[in-house]
Amino acid sequence: MRRRRSLPYVFLGPTLVILIVLALVPTIYAINISLQNRTLAQPQADYVWFANYIALFSDARFLNALWVSLKWEVVSVTATMLTGIALSIAMFEATGPRVRNILCVLFIIPVLLPRVCAAFVWKFSFHPLYGALTWPVRELTGSTPDILSTPLGALFAVAFVDVWQWGLFFAVIILKLLESLPPQPLEAARIDRATRWEVHRYVTLPMLKAPLISLLLVKAIESLRSFDLVYVMTRGGPGISTETLDMYAYSQGFIESGKISYASSMAVIMMVLTIVTFTFTWKRLNR
Amino acid sequence: MKLSTLLLRLMLILAAAFVVLPLLWTLLNAFKTNADLLVSTPKLFFQPVWDNMSYVLNRRSVARALTNSLIICTSAVVLGAVLGIPAAYVIARFKNRLTAEAQFFVLSLRFLPPVAIAIPMLVIWLGLDLYDTRLSLIVTYLIVTTSITIWLSIPAFEGVSLHVEEAARVDGLGPYATFFRIALPIVRFQVFGAVAFSFVLVWNEFLLAMMLTTSKAKTLPIIASEMSQLGMNVPWGILNAAVVLLSLPPLILLGVMASGLNAAFSKKTDQG
Repeated sequence: MRRRRSLPYVFLGPTLVILIVLALVPTIYAINISLQNRTLAQPQADYVWFANYIALFSDARFLNALWVSLKWEVVSVTATMLTGIALSIAMFEATGPRVRNILCVLFIIPVLLPRVCAAFVWKFSFHPLYGALTWPVRELTGSTPDILSTPLGALFAVAFVDVWQWGLFFAVIILKLLESLPPQPLEAARIDRATRWEVHRYVTLPMLKAPLISLLLVKAIESLRSFDLVYVMTRGGPGISTETLDMYAYSQGFIESGKISYASSMAVIMMVLTIVTFTFTWKRLNR
Repeated sequence: MKLSTLLLRLMLILAAAFVVLPLLWTLLNAFKTNADLLVSTPKLFFQPVWDNMSYVLNRRSVARALTNSLIICTSAVVLGAVLGIPAAYVIARFKNRLTAEAQFFVLSLRFLPPVAIAIPMLVIWLGLDLYDTRLSLIVTYLIVTTSITIWLSIPAFEGVSLHVEEAARVDGLGPYATFFRIALPIVRFQVFGAVAFSFVLVWNEFLLAMMLTTSKAKTLPIIASEMSQLGMNVPWGILNAAVVLLSLPPLILLGVMASGLNAAFSKKTDQG
């Protein structure tokens, strides 16, 4: 009986301890550094307490980054969910099992590609002079459209690549959810002469409300990790129009001035914002 | 066929084309010379050259980055699996307040913005004199691999019927033997999927590797992104070759997974 009881502790204990250490130590360090005036050049530093935080809120570039991050979250999450739902319903309604399997494998490919690769593939396609995607425009109008050089175009181009990766992947997941639904309500709706659109609008999607909201939350979390995409495609440009929070923290801490403390205070704000938001939402959903 | 079906199919064909065409195009571009590549009208037919590939493959920096990526990712994934799979089993099997909190804690690790880990980790590794080493990246990646392995393995273990484990117990197996000889083999496909996914995540990881390495421990994604900065003339052919090589491991894993899944599915239908 004794040995029976030991398993949970042996299996879970060490893992939890390691994870807690790996998560807590950097968090405490981040807060500690953010209260100092440390730079990459000098190891010596003094405590300046909240000076970094106060400076942040009069920093126009930081406020811009906050706004860009918010825009990015809304655009990428909405577009991903809509693409996922539309494609999954299309597969559910209009394909046989064989085609469905092939499409599922195809739609998983983009999300598995390194984001650096996905970004390069599309960056070259968007190239104003040589891109394959801009070729029709060049042929027809003779102009050279440079999507990545306009603020709005750049944001949507990066979001497009994000949806290319995640929207198609979500289509596969939502399809599996649709397939797992009991068939009776669907048949009942069809007998009532509901159109396909009405079946999904009023029957299947409401039934899938809870998992869809979970997926939305997962995407919102993953959208925070868009640094590589933005870095390769636009470097936060043109100007600072696609500079998200992590991009700005990176350039403050590593490229421009090496103000590691200033960057760290930004990271702490991000951490607090995301943890509070997501913990609150997640706990509410699973209550 | 109804018009709406036709439209839906068109939409799917378009989406599939958006996946297949850019990838095939990149593959073609990897074998083009700059003269064939940098043209206003994209060329479908050209004299393929191996130059780009051999340039990428023969670079010392690429060889080193490949070694780094393989060692770092494999170590982080194996350690993450060893730590994560048993923990997931406990969380799935023993439902109480503590394990529920543990499950949420593991999930919440994913909420941490990577920048918020990268900056303090940089200071810590500098302080320990371990900055720009493989060890530092392996330990940092453990957060990613362990939490994802746990997160994705919990539903797999929850699916194992309690009766099966009960039967094993009646047959005299202890709790550890039940885990290793009964539960683990039953869920091996799903758990392998979870582990493979954690490999893909760290193989593709960019921000942490970028901030925590400068020369010795650089991984492949960093080298690939640096190739775009070789002066004003972006060597697009070389870049395409690098993209193809970097994308191969995740795609091979997907191939293995897909065939494994198909085998599992066909087995199920045979029995049914």
